[in-house]
Amino acid sequence: MEEHLTVRLNKAFHQKARLGIMSILMTSGEAEFNYLKEKLNLTDGNLSSHLRLLENEKYIKIKKQFVKKKPRTLCQITEKGRQAFREYLDNLEKIIRSLP
Amino acid sequence: MKFRDKEGKLEQDERKEALENIKLIKEMVFETKKHLSHYGLGWISIIWGIFCLVGVAGQRLLIAYISPHGDLVGIWWLILTVIAGFGTYLVYRSHLKTEPIKPQNSSFRYFASFWIPLLLLGFTLVSFIASVSALSPHYIFIVMLLIVSTGYIMLGLTFFKEILYMGIAGYVSSILCAVFFLQWSDIILGTVFGLGLIITGLVVNRQWKNI
Repeated sequence: MEEHLTVRLNKAFHQKARLGIMSILMTSGEAEFNYLKEKLNLTDGNLSSHLRLLENEKYIKIKKQFVKKKPRTLCQITEKGRQAFREYLDNLEKIIRSLP
Repeated sequence: MKFRDKEGKLEQDERKEALENIKLIKEMVFETKKHLSHYGLGWISIIWGIFCLVGVAGQRLLIAYISPHGDLVGIWWLILTVIAGFGTYLVYRSHLKTEPIKPQNSSFRYFASFWIPLLLLGFTLVSFIASVSALSPHYIFIVMLLIVSTGYIMLGLTFFKEILYMGIAGYVSSILCAVFFLQWSDIILGTVFGLGLIITGLVVNRQWKNI
């Protein structure tokens, strides 16, 4: 039996906040925690939990550094994340194309 | 989440959700690209605006007092380009350290891969014009603007229409000046584009905080 298109959608991305995070990281490669928080309108805790999930899947890497003595948390997309997100986009496109 | 209706077709909710997701992705990509496209753009525009004004003033002074045949004009522009290029690099590097998002290495390589050959072509043509005494040194600024406009057109065709229009404007005005106002072309083009870039830079810097 043929697998349904929506089953192929990666659940790690199939959520608005994580979709937003991955879209930003696919375009820029690297983004600061506060930038993501502001752009996606999320709280610290909420964003942290989404980032942790993506990090556990090895789709992103989280780095901490100091710039001008201020701490910065940077999120970086991995090659695995990039590939998985491309697949997710392909599947989304297939769903849209299947529209009558 | 429902997966299948009786006939195995996608249900309306799933289609709607997929469309919403695509919309969100497009919005985020657009926002991020917008932020990246403004990466130090204000100060970089100001640097190149000053480059145009100082360059044209220096060219005029060189031809009037030191090098009437324009032999040194090519070297003058070369020195200025190196200084402005270094200034651009410093601005870009300082933004790279402090901005909340960073462009991918591949995009920097992509920009460098067409700007460097274009600038090399520019240097070659400028050196050629400067070395041939039969050619007016006034062609130097026109050639430089044509080269930069070519870069803008290439960028505009790939990324932003606004840059494409700037490239076309640069191309058309360079040719018009070469045909009709060659003796004044450097002053006309240098002032218009120099001031244009400085004003653009100031406007971008002012809007920067709202992005």
